[in-house]
Amino acid sequence: MSHDHGHSVVVPAPGPGFLPHTVAHHFDTPTQEFQSAKLGFWLFLATEILLFGGMFAAYFFFHQAYPETFHQGGKQLSWELGAINTTVLLLSSWTMAMGVRCAQTSQKNKLLVYCGLTVLGAVIFMVIKTIEYMAKYEHGFLPVFGGMGYDEATGQLAWYKDYHGVMEGVPFGNLFFSIYFTMTAIHGLHVIIGAGLILWIMKGAAKGRFHAHYYLPVDLVGLYWHLVDLIWIFLFPLLYLVP
Amino acid sequence: MTTHVPALDIHTSEHGSKPNYLNVTKGFKSWALTLDHKRIGLMYLIGVTAAFLAGGVFALLVRLHLWEPHGALFTNATYNQIFTLHGVFMVFIFVIPAIPGSLGNIVLPLMLGAKDVALPRLNLLSFYLWLTGTCFALYAILAGGFDTGWTFYAPYSLYTNQAVVSIGLGIFILGFSSIFTGLNFIVTTHKMRAPGLTWFRMPLFVWAIYATAILQVLATPVLGITVLLVALERIYNIGIFDPRLGGDPVLFEHFFWFYSHPAVYIMVLPAFGIVSELVTVHSRKPLFGYKLIAFSSLAIAVISFLVWGHHMFTSGQSTYAMFAFSFLTFFVAIPTAIKEFSWVATIWKGSIAMNAPMLYTLSFLIIFAIGGLTGVILGALNVDIHLHDTYFVVAHFHYVMMGSIALAFFAGLHHWWPKMFGLMYNEGLAKLACGIIFVGFNATFIPQFIMGSRGMPRRYATYVEDFEMYHKASTLGAIVLGSGVALMVGYLVHSLLAGKKAMQNQWGGVTLDWLSPTPPPLENFDTPPVVTHEVYDYSVLDLKTLQTPVR
Amino acid sequence: MISHLIQDPPKINYIESPAKIDALSDHWGQLVPLASTFDHVDGLFYFTYIVCIFFFVLIAGVLAYSVAKYRRKTWDQPAVSNVTHNTPLEVIWTIIPLIIVMVMFAWGWKGSLDMTVAPADAVQYKAVAKQWSWTFYYPNSKVQSFNEFWVEIDKPAAFTLQSTDVLHAFFLPAMRVKRDIVPGRQGTLWFHPTTKGEYHLFCAEYCGGDHSKMYAKLHVVSAEDYAKKPWDVLKDSTPQEAAASGENLYKQLCISCHSVNGTAGTGPTWKGLFSKQGDNYLGRQREVVTPDGGTQTITVDEAYITESIRKPNEKKVAELPYRNNNMSAFADLDDRRVNCLIAYMKTLADN
Repeated sequence: MSHDHGHSVVVPAPGPGFLPHTVAHHFDTPTQEFQSAKLGFWLFLATEILLFGGMFAAYFFFHQAYPETFHQGGKQLSWELGAINTTVLLLSSWTMAMGVRCAQTSQKNKLLVYCGLTVLGAVIFMVIKTIEYMAKYEHGFLPVFGGMGYDEATGQLAWYKDYHGVMEGVPFGNLFFSIYFTMTAIHGLHVIIGAGLILWIMKGAAKGRFHAHYYLPVDLVGLYWHLVDLIWIFLFPLLYLVP
Repeated sequence: MTTHVPALDIHTSEHGSKPNYLNVTKGFKSWALTLDHKRIGLMYLIGVTAAFLAGGVFALLVRLHLWEPHGALFTNATYNQIFTLHGVFMVFIFVIPAIPGSLGNIVLPLMLGAKDVALPRLNLLSFYLWLTGTCFALYAILAGGFDTGWTFYAPYSLYTNQAVVSIGLGIFILGFSSIFTGLNFIVTTHKMRAPGLTWFRMPLFVWAIYATAILQVLATPVLGITVLLVALERIYNIGIFDPRLGGDPVLFEHFFWFYSHPAVYIMVLPAFGIVSELVTVHSRKPLFGYKLIAFSSLAIAVISFLVWGHHMFTSGQSTYAMFAFSFLTFFVAIPTAIKEFSWVATIWKGSIAMNAPMLYTLSFLIIFAIGGLTGVILGALNVDIHLHDTYFVVAHFHYVMMGSIALAFFAGLHHWWPKMFGLMYNEGLAKLACGIIFVGFNATFIPQFIMGSRGMPRRYATYVEDFEMYHKASTLGAIVLGSGVALMVGYLVHSLLAGKKAMQNQWGGVTLDWLSPTPPPLENFDTPPVVTHEVYDYSVLDLKTLQTPVR
Repeated sequence: MISHLIQDPPKINYIESPAKIDALSDHWGQLVPLASTFDHVDGLFYFTYIVCIFFFVLIAGVLAYSVAKYRRKTWDQPAVSNVTHNTPLEVIWTIIPLIIVMVMFAWGWKGSLDMTVAPADAVQYKAVAKQWSWTFYYPNSKVQSFNEFWVEIDKPAAFTLQSTDVLHAFFLPAMRVKRDIVPGRQGTLWFHPTTKGEYHLFCAEYCGGDHSKMYAKLHVVSAEDYAKKPWDVLKDSTPQEAAASGENLYKQLCISCHSVNGTAGTGPTWKGLFSKQGDNYLGRQREVVTPDGGTQTITVDEAYITESIRKPNEKKVAELPYRNNNMSAFADLDDRRVNCLIAYMKTLADN
């Protein structure tokens, strides 16, 4: 159904190679559209933070209940790999910020390059994450591949095996890994979604949709990517460098 | 601002009347892919009404089963599933989305003088998320049903059958539907107001929906992560809530109520908004204490985040926590009381039209007084220990959720029905149905107050014979209540088929929703409205024609 | 597909119906008659109740008067007044309710403190909840009671509460006490019984399947009666007495899963576990499953039954659906009671 009754506001393209933008029919001005989307997106980011907030609350609750478990569990993670991933994400945040800047200044090719670098960062992050997950799987700490539910014969958890005995004698060692995997897996999902959004931005950018007069989607995806980065900045010390 | 002459003005349909949002385009796709807030609102209305009727059937089954102390109809296991379904359908699928999704969607942009909500595609997405979540719930029934109660308390929800995963994901999705609706309404209220419509000229329904939206955005994600963790726990045994694995069931309760207490206000604040609106229009008198009501909505929204612990007074929390939660619970009674008093004061010395919407509103005022006051009884620490998890609590929250919220929803439905469809319902039948619902409702739940205070625990498939007469009385009341609702559905459907044409400004309202044509065209107004008078200023109304001057 | 919603006729096996033991029907006060010292609950309840009725009458009265007096009689009738503010009135209706609710808060808070800490001289009991029965442990007594318990009048009784599976709640309406029982945590609760009699104990936190049948009876008895340890009275000197006691135990503990007439339940029926040949009882042959998944054939005898009561999932009956159902263990059931149950089972033998 078309809402366009022939009176929509059109934002002109800044030059050849760029496309004009038609403001949605129910807005009166491009500014109104921009501010509405921006406010809505900030609210969405707030819900994301609260979603993770629930998991952070669980983290602090169990950290306080079983400090030894979290201390020993944290030692099983490779802080070196975590630090590399932190660096990668920080750099990708910078490239994303540069991408937004290029959209605002109508530099189409540079926008594509910076977005591509950001996606590369996301790929490196996920590869390192997978390497870490595989190591946990070999130790018998990964819930997903270790089988579900309880072992009927022993009444023990099916997935938590501790093959190398590194968590022996620690109360409820499974809890640390449950929280580690839940938080990093949901964060990883956000990384993948973010990379997908950036690829979508690149598709539009190649067509010349984003320029100094209209860069809203680039701006919003950039905000999303910074949030993904920000959450990792909290996850890294809490999980890898447990006090 | 720029003004455009809407192209719609020059069109006329073959019947000679102007096209409106109902008939401007036809066919399934024009509805399924619509971005028009009124059409989305109507789809919500149909959906939530179906959910309400389903939940109502479950409620009647529960009441009929309890006719006998040993249970008249089902096994205990089946009974447990049915009361769970009643709770889940009524809370998550009906009450939470009902008013914002249907009436909020239709009326809010009209009241703001906007062409649509700020984010129409997100609005449609909200509706489809609601539909998807509901499908998950239906699938869970087919997959063996779930018997956890609507609260999903761990660890029982971790040990019972696997359909909990599906309903958990369903509620996660319903949660996001609610979040996106709220987010959309916040942005719409901030950015889409007509020229001259300052914050303190906004109708109180807008204020209420705005306060609700804040809660939806800030509280619902916590429920989302909680049910997600329950689902993960079911699939992978991650152990966060399972005491056998070192987890803590009380942590689940904290998470759950951190959402679900604000959720009570997500449900009730829109109802407050409707009542604020209706008392002034049908008394033709400015609202008493407008600013106080607006601020009390925000105050309730803020305090509601700090009282979740009062659902857990018997769970063994520390005495300090009990002190704080009880204190704040009493505190939240004050803004609520201010609202009730202000509504009564608005009616005082008004020009009171005893029509169907007003009758539903008056029923609300009586029932909400009881629901609110019994809440005060439950706030006291020592008394709550006795009454917690009994039928007293059941009766209290039904007075708020069914008696108040559903009645306010019906009131709003009757109030905006002529605006939505351009048609009127049979007023006589509407008044009769309101009377039957009012009597049936009280007959159902007053016996529950009595047996609850005498110790009848909730969620019981069978009960000791001492309580038999109260249960029988309650069941009879539920049958009366059900027949009242059936009558209402009947005459509303009849109105769609053979209703009389409604007036443009049926009740003589002075807010922008009544300025738009009836039913409104696609972009709501023939000329973009400009607000020049204070809200609820009935002096601008021409009492002979019920027209407000168009500026 | 949704047949699970409408299957099975109702299953009636309520534990010995405890009708009217609180004499509820003869009592027209709103609360059940108080039998402990927590009278502040009743005091605050009735105080709040009266305040609520006052405000309700006020609101309903003003509404009724307004509707009668200011009803719109002609279509174009304007309002009598257009008042939108009355600051003194608004201050009054903010301050007065605030004062009243603060009184209620303080009263309730003080009362709840009283309920939190048990006096030092309280008798210490323990109650263990599981789906769906109660076990009570007494100080200085090796014997427990099931779904029935005794306390002495005018002696404060303190309870330690434990759950072996899911959430439960210990609710004694007549004593005005309630406490959730969280698995993995220990709860406490106390009350001071003041009136002799029998009282309901309900499980108030939803715990699944037979939640509503998780019921126990509290006896508040005099000091002499209490000294006789009524929970320890078990008549089993003759086989007949033992069988009668066994039947009693069966009704308290086993009836929700095991039938005695041959019909199927959650667990296998007890009918025909033994067959009688002259004066001898011969146990049935049964195929059973061990936890490692292997099957073996055993003879039902005293040793097997004892093991099945205390460690029920060691050798589960292989027949469906029983091999998929887990029975709760009654590890603490003493030898005398187990023997009573066996004596009762023998009365159900085939000829």
